[in-house]
Amino acid sequence: MPIDNTQSDENYLEVKDLIKWFGDDPAVDGISFKIAKGDFLTLLGPSGCGKTTTLMSIAGLHSIDGGSIRVGDAMFTDPESGIFMAPENRDIGMVFQSYAIWPHMSVTKNVAYPLEIQKIPKDEINDRVADVLELVGLTDMADKMATQLSGGQQQRAALARAIVAKPRLLLFDEPLSNLDLKLREQMRVELKRIQNEVGITSIYVTHDQAEALVMSDDIIVMSKGHIEQMGSPVDIYSKPVNSYVSNFIGVANLLEGNVKKANTSGGEADVEVNVAGEPITLKCQLGAGLKQGDDTVLSVRPENVHAVREPDGAAPVPGEVTSAIFLGNYVDCRVAWGDFEWKVIAHPRMGLKEGEKVYLQFESEHMLAVQP
Amino acid sequence: MQEVATVATGPEPQRTEGPPRRSKAENRIRALFNQENIATMVVALIIGIAVILPLIALFINSFLVLDDSGWDTEWGFDNYLLMVTDRIIPKAFVNTILISSGSTVLATFLGVSLAWINARTNCPGRDFLEPYNLIPFFLSPFVGAIAWHNLAAPKTGLLNNWAQDYLGFETHILNVDNLWGVIWVTGIFFAPLVYLFVVGSLRRMDPSLEDSARTTGAGLFKTTMTVTLPLVMPGILSGAIIVFVTSAGEFGVPFKLSAPYGWETLTTQIFSKAVGDDANHYLGAAMSMALGIITVVLIWIQQRYIAPRSFTTVTGKGFRPNVLDLGSWKWVAFGYNVLYILVAVVLPILSLLVVSLHPVWEATIQPAQMSFINYEKTLFFWREDSIQAATNGIFNSLILALVGATLSMVLAIVVSYMIHRTKGPMTRLIDFLCVVPIGFPGIVLAMGVLVTYIQTPIYATLWILLLGYVTRFFPYGQRNVSSIMLAISEELDQSSRMSGASWFTTLKRITIPLLKPGIFAGWVLLFIIFLRELSISIILYTTGTETLSVGVYYLSNFENEPLTAALSMAQTIVLLAAIFLFRRVAGKEALTA
Repeated sequence: MPIDNTQSDENYLEVKDLIKWFGDDPAVDGISFKIAKGDFLTLLGPSGCGKTTTLMSIAGLHSIDGGSIRVGDAMFTDPESGIFMAPENRDIGMVFQSYAIWPHMSVTKNVAYPLEIQKIPKDEINDRVADVLELVGLTDMADKMATQLSGGQQQRAALARAIVAKPRLLLFDEPLSNLDLKLREQMRVELKRIQNEVGITSIYVTHDQAEALVMSDDIIVMSKGHIEQMGSPVDIYSKPVNSYVSNFIGVANLLEGNVKKANTSGGEADVEVNVAGEPITLKCQLGAGLKQGDDTVLSVRPENVHAVREPDGAAPVPGEVTSAIFLGNYVDCRVAWGDFEWKVIAHPRMGLKEGEKVYLQFESEHMLAVQP
Repeated sequence: MQEVATVATGPEPQRTEGPPRRSKAENRIRALFNQENIATMVVALIIGIAVILPLIALFINSFLVLDDSGWDTEWGFDNYLLMVTDRIIPKAFVNTILISSGSTVLATFLGVSLAWINARTNCPGRDFLEPYNLIPFFLSPFVGAIAWHNLAAPKTGLLNNWAQDYLGFETHILNVDNLWGVIWVTGIFFAPLVYLFVVGSLRRMDPSLEDSARTTGAGLFKTTMTVTLPLVMPGILSGAIIVFVTSAGEFGVPFKLSAPYGWETLTTQIFSKAVGDDANHYLGAAMSMALGIITVVLIWIQQRYIAPRSFTTVTGKGFRPNVLDLGSWKWVAFGYNVLYILVAVVLPILSLLVVSLHPVWEATIQPAQMSFINYEKTLFFWREDSIQAATNGIFNSLILALVGATLSMVLAIVVSYMIHRTKGPMTRLIDFLCVVPIGFPGIVLAMGVLVTYIQTPIYATLWILLLGYVTRFFPYGQRNVSSIMLAISEELDQSSRMSGASWFTTLKRITIPLLKPGIFAGWVLLFIIFLRELSISIILYTTGTETLSVGVYYLSNFENEPLTAALSMAQTIVLLAAIFLFRRVAGKEALTA
């Protein structure tokens, strides 16, 4: 899908200061973000973080208490100005967690429904439904009743129904969480392929970080109604802004410490951590918003910690293997370092055993000092 | 694809840049004005008027005291004082309590034992017997009383005569023309209420709960008494309270069996104050208030404290539990169940049939005399000598049942939607308004409707009956719809809205088609209830607006037994057909509360 390099396409969807109360608790507490046309954005976070509330606000399935939501040149809702566009007028396709395939209709009827509502001529409906069923791979199931479909097939039917009317926006509410693991992994790729093909701007809600990493152009990590970080999957994984994001995405070793010496221009810094009462200084990359003297958390991914028998770099740290679990292509190790236990990934060929003395080596460019 | 423009959003939300946060109160006021909320408020208003107005009118009228002239009134508590000082009313009060208590004991014993036999034991022929156990629930207790009067009145009862002729008894052995008779008939007719409250949880109960009791050495009887029954105790209590309240509000049975012989009840007294020779609406209103307060408090306790607990006793697993092997006792259980069906269904209907075929009933069966003349007189409206009260009743009841059931279900759908799908400010109020009518006996609500609308044009028309029927019984339909609405995901509606369909189109094309089984089951249930309705009709009818049960009442009071039996049979046959239909559409446990 060709994209004009204009301002409106860059800021195709804009959520501004969105507030939604449930009772006396703010479910979403003033969040803002923009995405470009054709983008695939994932709202990621644990249950209760406000991601589904944000999605429902965009869908118009409930009113909002503050802020505004705009898509293209259509203002969806802006309670300040008394604007609330009914959900059916927003031109959105949505895939629900339960699939919400209507059990009293056939697959074709389900998929044709949005077009029938738009009063599109019968012939055109038939053509478009056939096309979209082919796209999702359900051509053979067209005349089956919805109740005869398997979970994965219902998922595809729901997707077909969501995209058949070529909406300006596609919303996904944890659509894969009811599928088993194998099917889920397969559908991730499939969903992404179809979204790419139709090129509809999409917002995807999930609590599954692997899903988010695989499918998204951009990820927003949320907690307690706030945005913790927004960025590409690579950024979110390799440059988390704080310990929450670092911990939520992937696995991380997190050590509390204090920034002792920092370059004014950012970059390299010395961080002092306490190990069994002993202060130890480690070289690392300083994250955004930190300066000398700040409390910080060191975030190190297990794949960036190397356990070796013979130290060859500078300042190796001695430790003892407390557990080594063989997982086929790698060994999941725990290495005790004073009172801190490192999560380390080792090559199976090393043959690390419990109780073995090893040295840990770090690469300072992969040691991140982030906000606590 | 283009790189994306992102807004740097740190851990702190940028609240200061946005518009100022409005107060929650202001937001709520703004939220009031959208399409769905306005619809909710209108429906709340309609139900509120229908439900609350009669109760307010009842309350006000109960404090108006009729003076000696019989024309003027003044404010006072005299009507309530009469509850204690009157010659008849205090006795009626006591009789009501006696009947309700006795009926509750009998119905609970029958209901629990029959449910246990059907759900937990290997009693033979259970699947065959079960539907027959429920039939009394749908039939008219008033007709049951007429039938049992034919069977066991001291002088004319068929059973008494047989006992004297064939068993050599000197005098009658049975007498239902007293409080015991009322207890007997209400007890056997309301037993299915308890049955329905208990049988579901018994059937779904985790058998390991019983098994673990057995492994500790407890016998069958001990296990049943210490584990099984306590586990379903909330259901038993719920059923017992419903029976007590229903018996207290029952008009037809005491009117037929006890009132003529000197045992008045509150309902028969309210009736005589509403339309009798000594009519006094204000005193009737006060008695209705007294009866209504008792039933409302009991229903409130049941709804608030007992019903919510019944969910905790079942595991909800979808397996069929092992049934208990009763050994040779299973034939005792079988005989017991068959006996119940015999006295509650077969004997009453047979007696009606026999009596209805005799032009004159002299308490003995005379095959030579039999004819259909009574059916012709009560059903063939084109005949010169047809009885108007009966033929009117058939027409009016069919119209009321068809229109009333349809109207109630429309209301039920809208109200269920409001309760379960919209989160408007009126939702809880509507929910409450749907419980209120269930708390009041029909005769009490009818008394309220009477004093509210007696001076309006709808009085003495079918409209006032329709209003009374729908107000009192639409919650039954609402429960049917709500239970299905709870089971279908809200996302099915939402995905229609996201497909571009409006609220109304969604209701028409998605919600209602999905609810169809519940709507139809509710419709048939209300059709049955309206077709046999007596205690509202008896207060609100006038000449020309008789209903089927009022027709039976008229024949019983002013004509003879065979004519009464004929119209009762006609009503029973239509009801049986409707029951058959109901079971076909609603399935086995649709009624289980």
